[in-house]
Amino acid sequence: MSETTQPETETEESTAAQQATEEDPDGGFQFGGPEMHDGADLEKEDVVLSVEGLQKTFGGLVATDDASFQVERGTITGMIGPNGAGKSTLFNLVSGFYEPEAGSVTVNGVDVTGAEPHEVAEKGLVRTFQTPRKLEGMTVREAMLVGPRSQVGESFISLFTKGDDVTSQERKNLEDAHRILEEFEIGDLAYQAATDLSGGQMKLVELARAMLAEPEILLLDEPVAGVNPTLANKLSDQIARLNEQGTTFLVIEHDMEFIMNLADPIVVLDRGHVLTEGTPDEVRSDERVIDAYLGGGA
Amino acid sequence: MSVTDRLPRTGLLDGYTRAERGVVGFVVLLMLLLVYGLVTGGLGPTYFLYLIGLVGMYVLLSFGLNAQWGYTGLINFSVAAFFGIGAYGTALLSADSSPIAGNMLPVVGLFVGLVVAAVVALVIGVPTLRLRTDYLAIASLGLAEVIRILVQNQRNYTNGSAGLRGIPGFFEGWPVLETFPQAMPTLIVERLTLTVPFLFEVDLFGFRLGQSFWQGLLNVSLVLVFVGVTYAMLRRVHRSPWGRVLRTIRADEDLAEALGKDTYRFKMQSFVLGSVIMALAGVFYAHLNLYVSPGDFEPINTFYVWIAVILGGSGSNRGAMFGGFVVIAIREGTRFLGDLLPAAFPTLGIPFTDLVVSFPALVENTYATVVSNFASTRLLAVGLLIILVMRFRPEGVLPPQRELIWPEATEGPDPGSDPGTKAVSADGSGASRGGQTDE
Repeated sequence: MSETTQPETETEESTAAQQATEEDPDGGFQFGGPEMHDGADLEKEDVVLSVEGLQKTFGGLVATDDASFQVERGTITGMIGPNGAGKSTLFNLVSGFYEPEAGSVTVNGVDVTGAEPHEVAEKGLVRTFQTPRKLEGMTVREAMLVGPRSQVGESFISLFTKGDDVTSQERKNLEDAHRILEEFEIGDLAYQAATDLSGGQMKLVELARAMLAEPEILLLDEPVAGVNPTLANKLSDQIARLNEQGTTFLVIEHDMEFIMNLADPIVVLDRGHVLTEGTPDEVRSDERVIDAYLGGGA
Repeated sequence: MSVTDRLPRTGLLDGYTRAERGVVGFVVLLMLLLVYGLVTGGLGPTYFLYLIGLVGMYVLLSFGLNAQWGYTGLINFSVAAFFGIGAYGTALLSADSSPIAGNMLPVVGLFVGLVVAAVVALVIGVPTLRLRTDYLAIASLGLAEVIRILVQNQRNYTNGSAGLRGIPGFFEGWPVLETFPQAMPTLIVERLTLTVPFLFEVDLFGFRLGQSFWQGLLNVSLVLVFVGVTYAMLRRVHRSPWGRVLRTIRADEDLAEALGKDTYRFKMQSFVLGSVIMALAGVFYAHLNLYVSPGDFEPINTFYVWIAVILGGSGSNRGAMFGGFVVIAIREGTRFLGDLLPAAFPTLGIPFTDLVVSFPALVENTYATVVSNFASTRLLAVGLLIILVMRFRPEGVLPPQRELIWPEATEGPDPGSDPGTKAVSADGSGASRGGQTDE
């Protein structure tokens, strides 16, 4: 896959570089300049996730149009954009659920373009979903135990040949699950049926479970959609705490207050491509962003 | 769920849910009926053992489908095909009428039957398991028919619709067990007539326990070993991280993928495992029935197994076992029930003669038809049963336990011990701990 898209990638890189030169070197943006989009900052130092020239169409609809951006290690990078800007499509492309028509995705320096979602996850990129996925018939702690990657007990043969290893690892994972639930202040939910949780609790559990997978970068798709303000604050605190402990985040969110307080930098997406990138203040005062949200040149 | 229908302690069946008590009651009742049949001579001991063998076979088939559908959510409509592959696999190798090999040891047949089933499962799984589960359902439906028609028409290889006769017992070639039935003495239990004056008079016993009885006993022991080993294995894998991934796939395949699980690999393992267990049931059947024919591939056999799993509770090994039991009770019970009912519509005694006369002839005719053809109403019984289960207990009679975690990992100090205090202190919600595993 990567070989076949190589030539295209190069051309995308050159466009990206061209765009980068049009950017003001110190990160400020020229308001109202001739270019309608100046794209993302593509010269970051310690990059965990790098997306270059991604392209995806559904029939006649161009959902992702030459999207390029980077996520720097240790940041909480926000991603905003009006409805239909292609945020979720981009997430699906990055995490392997969709196959891009052109462009490349690199996680930790490893090309994962066109890889299966579980292969992308193996490389350290874990994602959550917009609507929480409930696991029927499982308790919360049981659902948590799905999180850890590459468990010994996930091999059918090992269950019979390495029973002791399975036991010790399962015991450790169970302890971790309880510890993380405690850290999220939802330790009391451990024995509840996963289907009995509220939407907000489920989002917390999803975040907690994703942490058991020890991701290099965690993609959150609208973490506070449909969550009450108290829980949303709790989620925000947890994300900030985990970030301090070293996890990198890429967060899609419609709740402007939430994302502006949490994330820096923020990538703005419009009609499938990256419109601009900057600090929350820069993005907030950028006319093009306001235009995009109000419906283009209206 | 299980918490709410836990009953107050009443002694004998403490700690069981209502459903579990119901199941125990059902099984005890069935056993009493069978014992009654045995004692009064209405049910021959050899036929009784044959029935037990059939139950074991259905339990195995249900285990197999449960490992596919119950665990992983794979819709497999070719249960009969994998069953038939097991049966024909061993029959073609061991039967003396086999057109290709014949007269080989049944143990070889067992091995070959299972391997062929695994290969067929792989072949059908490779193109379909990458897609949504619907595609497997359609492909498996086709596969079952393709294999049935192949077996029926490839006379040079399978004897076609004549089927295969002369299949030896499973233990042929084994040191002691091969001649066990012949070596055992024939026991004759004399007929006894029990008379309670002025009340009733019953004939008791009165049968010979000959070679076929001992053969039956051997078959039952064999199927018990098959079922026992399979159950022990499934129990272990169901509560393991492996089983947990399968349950995650069933609930939400995308989620499993996002968490780094290679769902294709897990689905394939689950599919092959289930198919091999179905083939094991087929191998047993061939050596129980000593005759196999293309009729064994009929789709109805697939649907009986589906019914067993749905009824028992998908995802639950115990449920699958119970379901197998019920299906045989229906399948074989309907043969006899017709004889027990009065042949004509009951006339409710003389005082109501006027009423009876007013019954339309249609009712009486329908009744007579149903009773005289009771065996063919079993599909009706099965259909009604499914509707009732879906309406009143969609999770099945014995749904899986609430929490399935590798048992040894929860032994000793529970990592989440003392949750009672935490539950209150954390946010005051005092969330109930629900039914922690106690089954």
